[in-house]
Amino acid sequence: MTGFLRIDGIEKRWSHDVTVGPITLDIARGDILALLGPSGSGKTTILRLLAGFEAGDGGRILVANEDVSGLPPHRRRFGMVFQHYALFPHLDVGENVGFGLQGRGKGDEGRVRQQISEALALVDLAGFERRKVHELSGGQQQRVAVARALAPEPRVLLLDEPLSNLDPALRERTRRELRQVIKRVGITTLFVTHEQDEAFDLGDRIAVINQGRLEQSGAPEELYEKPANLFVATFVGRANVFRGEAARALCGSAPRGAIVVRPERLRFADGGLPGVVRERRYTGPAAFFTVEADTGDRFEVLAEPDAAQVGDRVFVQAARAISL
Amino acid sequence: MRRPRRSELAAAGLVLLLAWLVVYPILIGALDAADGTALRAFLTRRNEWAALWASIWISLASVVLAGAIGIPLAFLFEWFDFPGRKTLGALIALPVVLPPLVGVIAFLFLYGESGFIARALQVALRLEQAPWRLQGPSAILLVHAYSMYVYFYLFTRAGLAKLDVSMLEAAQALGADRRATFRRVIVPLLRPSLVGAAILTFMTSLGSFSAPYIFGGGFRVMTTQIVASKLNGDLPLAMVETVALALVAVIGLVILRRTEGEDILVALGKGIAPRPRPIRRRGIRLLTTGAGWTLAVVLLLPHLTLLLVSLVPYGAWTTEILPPVLNLTNYRRLFSEAERLRPMINSLWMAAASTTVAVVLALAGGYLVVRRRVALRRAIETLLALPWALPGTVFAIALAITFSVSAPLQLRFVLVGTALILPLAYLVRALPLTGRGILASYRQLDPSLEEAAASLGAGRWRTLARVTIPQLRPGLAAGASLAFVAALGDIVASIVLYTYETRPVSIEILSSLRLAETGVAAAFGVVLMLVSAVVLAVGARR
Repeated sequence: MTGFLRIDGIEKRWSHDVTVGPITLDIARGDILALLGPSGSGKTTILRLLAGFEAGDGGRILVANEDVSGLPPHRRRFGMVFQHYALFPHLDVGENVGFGLQGRGKGDEGRVRQQISEALALVDLAGFERRKVHELSGGQQQRVAVARALAPEPRVLLLDEPLSNLDPALRERTRRELRQVIKRVGITTLFVTHEQDEAFDLGDRIAVINQGRLEQSGAPEELYEKPANLFVATFVGRANVFRGEAARALCGSAPRGAIVVRPERLRFADGGLPGVVRERRYTGPAAFFTVEADTGDRFEVLAEPDAAQVGDRVFVQAARAISL
Repeated sequence: MRRPRRSELAAAGLVLLLAWLVVYPILIGALDAADGTALRAFLTRRNEWAALWASIWISLASVVLAGAIGIPLAFLFEWFDFPGRKTLGALIALPVVLPPLVGVIAFLFLYGESGFIARALQVALRLEQAPWRLQGPSAILLVHAYSMYVYFYLFTRAGLAKLDVSMLEAAQALGADRRATFRRVIVPLLRPSLVGAAILTFMTSLGSFSAPYIFGGGFRVMTTQIVASKLNGDLPLAMVETVALALVAVIGLVILRRTEGEDILVALGKGIAPRPRPIRRRGIRLLTTGAGWTLAVVLLLPHLTLLLVSLVPYGAWTTEILPPVLNLTNYRRLFSEAERLRPMINSLWMAAASTTVAVVLALAGGYLVVRRRVALRRAIETLLALPWALPGTVFAIALAITFSVSAPLQLRFVLVGTALILPLAYLVRALPLTGRGILASYRQLDPSLEEAAASLGAGRWRTLARVTIPQLRPGLAAGASLAFVAALGDIVASIVLYTYETRPVSIEILSSLRLAETGVAAAFGVVLMLVSAVVLAVGARR
C-alpha cells in the first residue's frame, strides 16, 4: 500500500547527538494521523520539516507520488494551524481567511468573497468577516486559524498542538468539532500532540515519537493492546510493569521479560499476587487503588469504588497481561 | 543547506557596505591625520586644549543642569495630580522634537541682545544699550539646559511609571519611612533611567554645534573648532581634532555605561504604577497649577517668538517693542523665489533619500540578525549602532577627507561637491535610528506569522509586504520619522559638506541671519518646525 502522503526516511540533525529521524510513515488519503510524544521528542520538528520551515538533512516527502522535499513552504500547498494560531493582527477575520486565496492569480473578487464565507461557515463562524482578530475568544481564534488553513484547499493539513491553548472544558468539544470539519473536507491531516486523549479522540492512526525516533504507529487499539515496547506501553495509557516474582504470581507462568498490565485489567480476587491497599483515589464511577505487593512492587488497580479500603489485605489477578 | 549559505553571503555583503559607510572614512581620516605636523600643532597649541576642555565641561554641566530641571519635573508630573497635568506633561516634552537649529534661533530672537525681551527692557528702562549680551559659555549652557532637560524628564517619567506600587508599600510595611523608601528603593530602581538620560544628554551636548556656533562668540568648543579648522582649509588639523573629540565621546560613553547597572525594572516585568496623588491643599494646588502653566509658556515662548518674527517684513521692525507690521511677505518670498525654494527642495529630497536607504539597510539587517541569525549578526548590530556613539562632526570631517580623492581601487570616489555627499552623511546618522527601531520590532515579531504566510502560499516578497512590514510598522515609522527630521534639520554635516547647489535649509537660515534677513530665517524655522512636527506625529501614530 502506498499512502497519499509518504514520509520516506526524513531526518534532521540539529547537532552531533541531537537527531530527529530517520522517520518513515505512510498516510492514506483522508486519514488523520496523530504524532504523539513527550515534549522535546521531535514531533514538532517533523511537522516543520513537512511544512518546509526546516530544511531536512535526508529523506523525501511525497504527496501523491510527487516529491515536494525541495519546494519552499509557499509552493507545497500544505495548510498549517499554528500552536498560537499566528493570526495576522493587522488584518480582520475575512482578510486572514482570504490571505491564501489572493495572489494565486485566479481571483475575481466575488469568488474570493464566496470562498471566505464558505470557509467561515465550515467552522461555524458565518458572518464574522469584519471582526477584529483580538475581539475573538480563544476558541473562535482557533476556528479562524482552521478556516484560514483550509480556505486555499491545501493537499495536506498540519496542526501543531491545535488545542493546547484552550481551557480544558472547551478542549473536548472543540476536538470533536475539529474532527468533524476535517472529515467533512476529507483532507489528509497530521497533527502534533503530547496528550494521549487528544491523539485517541482526534486521530485515525497514531505515531508515537520518542527522542527523535518513531517507536510505533498504528490504530489507537493496536497501540493500547499491543504496544511494541515499554515506552509505548507506559506513554499510551496507564500501565503497571511487573518483572520476576510478581509477574509469576500474576500470570502463573514465568515470563521471559517484563509484563505490562493496564489498571482496569487487574482485579481483586481470592488468590494471586498478595499485597496491601495503600491509597484510594475516587473518580466517581470507579476508584484507583494503589497496592503495595509483598514483593515490594507498587501498582494501580481500577475497580468499583467500594471494592476495597485503605489498609485492606488483598490478592490481585490479571485478566490480560501484555508480555514484552 | 543552500539557504543558510546564501544568507551568510548576504550578511558579509551588508557588513562590508556598512563598514565602508561607517568605519572606513574614520580610518582613512585618522591615517591622514597621523601626519606629524598636524598632530604636533594640535598638541602644542593652547587653544586646542582649551576647546577640548570646554567641550567636556560644557557637556558635564549640561548633564547637571538638565537633570536639575528634568528630574523634579518628572516627579511632579508623575506623582501629583493638578488641573492641566496631562496637557502640560505633553507640552513640556516638545523641545526635544524640534531641530536644534530652530530652537537656537528662536532663543536668539527672544533672549538675544536684540531679541524681544532685551528690546522691551531697553525701551521700558530707557537704556542706551541692550541690558545684556547673550554670549559665551553661559548662553550655551542656557540653550542646552532648555532643550535637554527633556531627556531627563522623559526617562525619569518612564522609570517612575514602571515602578510597582506594591514595592513601595512593601518598603513601608518593613518600616521604611518616606525618605528611606526614596533613598533605598526608588533611587536604585531609577538608576538605569537616570544614567540613560545622562548618557543621551552628554553625547548630545558633546556633539552640539548650533548653540556654540551661534552663541559662542570667541568661546570655542571642539565641534566649532573643527569646523573652523576645516573652513580655514586645514583638513589634517581638523581630522586630529575630530579624532580627539571621538576619543572623548567613546571614553565618556564607556565610563557612563559602567555606572548604568542592570535594568532591574525590565526584568521584573510590569507592575502597577502608583496613582498620581491629587494635591489637597487649595493654596498649594493653585500655586502648582500656576507655576506649571507659567513654565509651559516660558518653554514655548521662543517658538511663539519665532512665529512672530517670521511675520515681520524686512526692515519693518526697528526700535518698537511690538512689530508695527505683520504680514505673510516672508512666506510668500520663501515659496515664490527660486533661490529660496531651492534649499527646501534640497532638504526634503536629501532627507527622504537618506531615510529610505537607512530603512532598507535596517530591514536587511533585522532580517539577517533576527531571522537568519547569521554568524556576523553582532557585527551588523554594532555597525548599525556605531554612528550614534560619535558626534556628527566626526563623520562629516571623515567623509570630507575620504570622498575628496579619486582612488576607485581603495573604494574612494570624489563625492564632495556632488549631490551625493550630503545624503550619504545623513544616511550614516540615520542608521542607528532606523536600526534600533526596526531591530527591536523584529525581535518582538512572532516568526510563526511569517511562516503562516508562507504556508498560505505567499512568497518572500509578498510575505514582506503583507505581513512583515505591517507588523514592523510602529518601530519602522518611529525610526524613519526621527531619521527624516534629523536630516531635515541637520547643520553639523551640512556646514562641512554643502555646496551652493545642494545647500539645505539650515545653511540658508544661517546665511539669511548673516544678511540680517531675520524674517526669512524665522519663516524657514517655522516651516522646518511644522514639517518636523507633522512627520513625527505621523511616525508616532499607532
